[in-house]
Order: sequence, then C-alpha cells, then structure tokens
Amino acid sequence: MVSKQTKKVFDGMKCNFYTGLTMFRATTQTFPVEVTNTGESYPCAKNENLLRGMVRLGRRGIPVGCINGGCGICKVRILSGEVEVVGPISRAHVSEEEEAEGITLACRVAPRSAVVLTVVGKMAKPFLALAAANGQGRLSTQSKGE
Amino acid sequence: MGILRIGHASLRVMDMAAAVRHYENVLGMKKVMEDKHGNVYLKCWDEWDKFSLILTPSDRAGLNHVAYKVEREEDLDELQEKIEAYGISTTMLPEGTLPSTGRMLQFNLPSGHEMRLYAFKECVGTDVGNINPDPWPDDIRGAGAHWLDHCLLMCELNPETGVNKVAENTKFATEVLGFFLTEQVVVGPNGSIQAATWLARSSTPHDIAFVGGPRMGLHHIAFFLDDWHDILKAADVMAKNKVKIDVAPTRHGITRGQTIYFFDPSGNRNETFAGLGYLAQPDRPVVTWTEEHLGSGIFYHTGELVPSFTEVYT
Ligand code: FES
Ligand SMILES: [Fe+2]
Repeated sequence: MVSKQTKKVFDGMKCNFYTGLTMFRATTQTFPVEVTNTGESYPCAKNENLLRGMVRLGRRGIPVGCINGGCGICKVRILSGEVEVVGPISRAHVSEEEEAEGITLACRVAPRSAVVLTVVGKMAKPFLALAAANGQGRLSTQSKGE
Repeated sequence: MGILRIGHASLRVMDMAAAVRHYENVLGMKKVMEDKHGNVYLKCWDEWDKFSLILTPSDRAGLNHVAYKVEREEDLDELQEKIEAYGISTTMLPEGTLPSTGRMLQFNLPSGHEMRLYAFKECVGTDVGNINPDPWPDDIRGAGAHWLDHCLLMCELNPETGVNKVAENTKFATEVLGFFLTEQVVVGPNGSIQAATWLARSSTPHDIAFVGGPRMGLHHIAFFLDDWHDILKAADVMAKNKVKIDVAPTRHGITRGQTIYFFDPSGNRNETFAGLGYLAQPDRPVVTWTEEHLGSGIFYHTGELVPSFTEVYT
C-alpha cells in the first residue's frame, strides 16, 4: 500500500515507473543536470558520471555510446556548474583548447554542483532534429560542429 | 596459399591497467608480455601463436593496425608485387619490428586502414597442448574466448560525393588479397551501392568486414565462443564486471552469428561471436541483403537497428 503522504510526493513529482522505484534510494547526494537542447533535467549522483547517471534512470537527452571516453558521441559543453573529470577523455574528440572552453565528454565527468549543459558535435544535428520533431527543443542553442 | 586468417589487432587504449583487466577478466585472455614502450601483448587460450592482441598506451581509442597471417614467407613477396602492381605502396618491415614476429608487409587499404601481413610468429601452443589434449583448460577466466575471430572496419561512404571505400576495399581484397565475398548489403537505386561486405579466406562466414559510415574507423574486433550458452555466460561476466553492453545477446541474420557487443574501458567495441554460421566456401552463392531488410540482417530477432551500433565507433 502506498501511504497518503507518499502518494502526495509521487503526484507532486510527476513520477514515472522508474523514478517511483528509485526516488527513495538516494543516499548519496545528487545534483540536477539540465540538458538545454531538450530542456530535460535529471538528478545525477556525485559519484557517477553524467551519462551513466542519465542512462541508469532510463532518461534521454545526451547521445549514448561507449560510456568510456573513447567514441566522442556524448560530447557536451558545460554552460554552468562544476564537474570533475573521472577518467581519460579521447583527444581524438576533445582537443585541449576545447577542454579549456568547457567542452568535455558527459561520460567522463561527475557533477560537483548543479550543471547546465548543451550537446555539441556531430550528433547534435539528428539530436536537435529529434527534439524539434517532438516540439520541445529549444533550438536557439548554438551547437559548435566539428 | 596466401592469407590464412586474422593474426592480431593493435588497439590504442587510454588506461592500460583497466584495459588489461578487461581483456583478461572479461574476455579471458592472458597477458604474455610487455615491451619497453609499455605495449602489452595478450593471447586467448585456444590460440597457438604468441599473441593476438596488442594494446598500446595512447591519449585516444582506436585501431593502429590489423594483421593477417599468410602461409609461407614467399607469399609476402608475391603479395607485395601484386599490391604494388594494383597501385598501393607497401613497406616490408624487418623481422623483430614486433616481438616474436617475422617480417611484415605493411600497407593501407583503400579505406586508409593499416593492414600488415606476416608469415611467422612464435608458436607457443594452445593452453591444452597438442598431445592427448583435454577439450578445455582448467584456468579459464571470464568469457573464455577461444580466439580473435575477425574485425569490422568502418569505411567512408558518401553517395553524394561518390566516395565508396566499402566497394574499393572489397574489390582490392578480392582481386589482390584473395578474399572471397560471402555476404553484402546493397542500398540505393536498384541496389547499386555496395554499403557493407563480409569476406572470408578461411571457412568461417567472415575473416573481415567492411561497413560504410561517415568516416573511417574501427567498428569492432570479435572473439570466438562455441555456442549460445557461452554467449549467455559471457553476458553474465560482463554484468559482473560492469562492462557497458551495446547490444545484448542476439543473433545476426548476416553470418547467422550469435553475438554480444560491448565496449572496452577505452571505448573500443568488442564482440563475442558464437557458432559456425555456415561453411564458407569460394563457390557458395553470395548472400545479398537489401535496404528494406537491413534491420533483420543486422539483428535478426527484432529487425530493428540500434542507433549506437550504427553511429558509434572509434
Ligand atoms: S559515450 Fe563514448 S565517449 Fe562518452
Ligand atoms: Fe562481428
């Protein structure tokens, strides 16, 4: 049985099946991560990378590939917030100059505060097109293609 | 007789310790040596030559080169002549360029991928030996891969500019290297564009494959397992080791292989490929997959393409 109080929390959060199952599990601190391309946001624990955090919740927004820093598909620009690098980032996909500008791979950084990011790079187009098709994209976002 | 089989792949990795853990604990390979540059050499239990995988430390992922073994030393000279006559330049790397390996004929495929051919690599035997052997050794780890089976190279394909490195590689591999075509995917008007090909030198459905994409790269290297049950166990091993699985156990229409796709800790895609598929022979009619049935060709059960599978590679 779901208590009245619990039900209230559920309703307030516009829960889906998975958030219903995972919302009370949070023993580690999480930070909200906002993907400007779709306006979606999700909570990410500070001990996991931004992409793994998203995938584990069954959420979408950032393209998913190897989750190991090699394929470059999850290239993002951090617009605000602090992240920590948690593994090697392929130089084939993020140059030193780009890294200095706040461009990184979502699968190689963990949040240290609330984060706002935008998806850049070669997947940005189909991704933006998808967002547009869903009628929820904020298409004013500039993407810096390769 | 020319090329026998795939001999080894040389991969770039960004975290050597994590890479060695992955290829040892998940695939079940064994590290056989490390050279003074920090390159690590590994082998599967059922392989008899000294190594089939070289990991090189780098700031990025991807393929350095793929090597195939030829039967005789003279094959290298004959192939060098043929390749040069075709218009592709070659270099004969002296014996010892790689440890325990004879001279290597080095060249680039039309797609730009570096290929090497060699006739000699030190034979150390399989882990069960060759006198009254048991069917498998006692110290199998992880998925217990038998051998490096094949590789799939992504080749530039752009119908608008007329670039088709899949077709160019296929022509070169069949006319010069002696591969035969087993299967192909054709797309476009009247199926006029050869978008993917599978080729063999041995009797398995493919020893190499070429697939069209926006840029050249490595799609995957594949390791052989016996059967479907081994695939299930391999997936269990991956879950235990928190390996990122790209495509969970399923079957390919193309080659009939039973498969799992997953990523090594640097993002290089691996496959565990099980089953004979069928007996590949040069006179077996080529199997053709058309655009409408491409989904079933790749993933037979669902018939649906997985975006990461077609778009992500190193
Ligand atoms: S998913 Fe491959 S680099 Fe992040
Ligand atoms: Fe394969």
